[in-house]
Amino acid sequence: MENKVLTPLGQKCLQSLLKIWFDFDFSLNNVPIVKRLEQGRLSIEDYQTLLLNLRQQVIEGSRWISRSASSFDRDYSDIRSIVIGHANEEHRDYQLLEQDYVAAGGNINTIQSSSKNVGSEALHGFLMYRASQPNPIDLIGAMWIIEGLGNKMALKWSKCINEQLKFATCATSFMDYHGENDEHHLDELYKLIDRVASCEKNIDAIIRTAKVVAKLYKLQLEEVDNAE
Amino acid sequence: MDVYINSTGHFLPGKAINNDEIEEILGLIDGKKSRLKNKILQSNGILQRHYAINEQQQTQISNSDMAANAGNACINNSYLSSNKIKMLSCATSQGDNVLPGFGSMVQAALNLSEVELNTSHGICSSSIMALKAAFNAIKCADHDNALVIASELTSRLFKHTRYEQVENNEVDFNAEFLRWMLSDGAGALLLENKPRPTGKSLKIDWIKSFSHANAFPVCMSVGQAKDENHKTWQDYATYAEAEKAGALLLRQDVRLLDNIVAVGVQGFLKLIAQKHVDINKIDHVLCHFSSKYFKSKIFDMLEIAGASIPEEKWYTNLYQRGNTGCAAIFIMLDEFIKTHDLKVGETIFCMVPESGRFNCAYMHLTVAE
Repeated sequence: MENKVLTPLGQKCLQSLLKIWFDFDFSLNNVPIVKRLEQGRLSIEDYQTLLLNLRQQVIEGSRWISRSASSFDRDYSDIRSIVIGHANEEHRDYQLLEQDYVAAGGNINTIQSSSKNVGSEALHGFLMYRASQPNPIDLIGAMWIIEGLGNKMALKWSKCINEQLKFATCATSFMDYHGENDEHHLDELYKLIDRVASCEKNIDAIIRTAKVVAKLYKLQLEEVDNAE
Repeated sequence: MDVYINSTGHFLPGKAINNDEIEEILGLIDGKKSRLKNKILQSNGILQRHYAINEQQQTQISNSDMAANAGNACINNSYLSSNKIKMLSCATSQGDNVLPGFGSMVQAALNLSEVELNTSHGICSSSIMALKAAFNAIKCADHDNALVIASELTSRLFKHTRYEQVENNEVDFNAEFLRWMLSDGAGALLLENKPRPTGKSLKIDWIKSFSHANAFPVCMSVGQAKDENHKTWQDYATYAEAEKAGALLLRQDVRLLDNIVAVGVQGFLKLIAQKHVDINKIDHVLCHFSSKYFKSKIFDMLEIAGASIPEEKWYTNLYQRGNTGCAAIFIMLDEFIKTHDLKVGETIFCMVPESGRFNCAYMHLTVAE
């Protein structure tokens, strides 16, 4: 592995982040929609509902990234550049989600007119709040969780879905896409961790945000089964 | 009260069996050579193992007798005579009898008088559970010493006739997988509340384990047929019906298996965060990984975490002694101690992941003065 975090504080931060990721990953096994997905009991309606719920948060996702970019001042201009690049790459992700929804038999108007579930509201609210703070370096923690989940979707969920559901055209492009860019994004994240995990205070902030985002993302997935 | 491992012993039945001899012992299923065997052996890297059954699949030595042999080897290597043993703590995934507990049978085989008895039941990590019970008993000054034995005789599950009973001859990958992974053997440790001047006394600093059965489905099991969610072996009208349904085959859900790496590394990171372990101060790593495949996965993940331990510190005898389930970590520790020149203060980090329903046990040892 070439992309390593090198500084001792960076390593400490990375170890904590990885631990939080595992805790989150294991806890997802108890979320009903994830259980059905991973254990081969996902219906086509389930998959449509999952995409419909994810889309409402993803379409807002680029907003918090863009806003956080504007919150970094001159001392963090290097980070601002990376975050702008990231926002640019992902701000049309939701279109993939919409395509997948239609390929899975859903109606485009339905997904476009739906609102966020309770968990998505909370997640989006928290991310926008943090992104509005000056120099919100703690959002590295949010990126870590969201990147991790993208990776899980690409490597695991997409395979599970395609094994149990048959589509005429590809209906997992959103999940697959996150696998393709993974190496590159991970590289960037490692660089960012080395750059900002420069003191205990920063590490604590990153860890805390990662924990909150993990919890709220789980809530968002739990709410997939509760959405009206 | 501090607790020391003062003696170790092991027992492996019969001669070492090479890869091309396995089917001569376990038998050909429906007279045909396995198409999976070589692929699985290549991935696990195991070159030799031992079986307690012969070419006619007849049991040559019972599980409790293997345990007793390992126990005797351990006692003979120690400062104690067997009548001084205060506690016997045993582990196995399957005793010879369903009841009574395995420990009772081992105690009888060893002829130990009036010991406190413990049997822990599970898969690979059950040996560490048995060890922890003994460790705690000495730590709280309830006993001066304890003998801990872990033993496995899984080959009985791999006889060709077991698979031939299944209706429609349906032996899928998950049912065959472990046939090329597991083998037989026993290992024993003697614990005391003081070190002995052998230069090989190991202080047990701590034993910890984290189980994730609430978060994961069953991954390795006996008792449930393929695609059967509720019914277990005793729910069938007769045992013959359970066998026909395939409910008595040892199964591994291979798709879930990768999770064991995450579970193992998660616990390791937790121990680092809680300051129980300092990666830079680990001198030796004894990890019960079931195959070469998983060793490299664990390595990769530790490297990502910036928590890697150099390869030369890792010791295993998996490839020569086979994967003996819960006995493996004791057999490994025994051979490690006997083949290494240990120095006072050196540390040994042990790790035993169990895929059954995802438990991972850890232990930290320091070479005593």
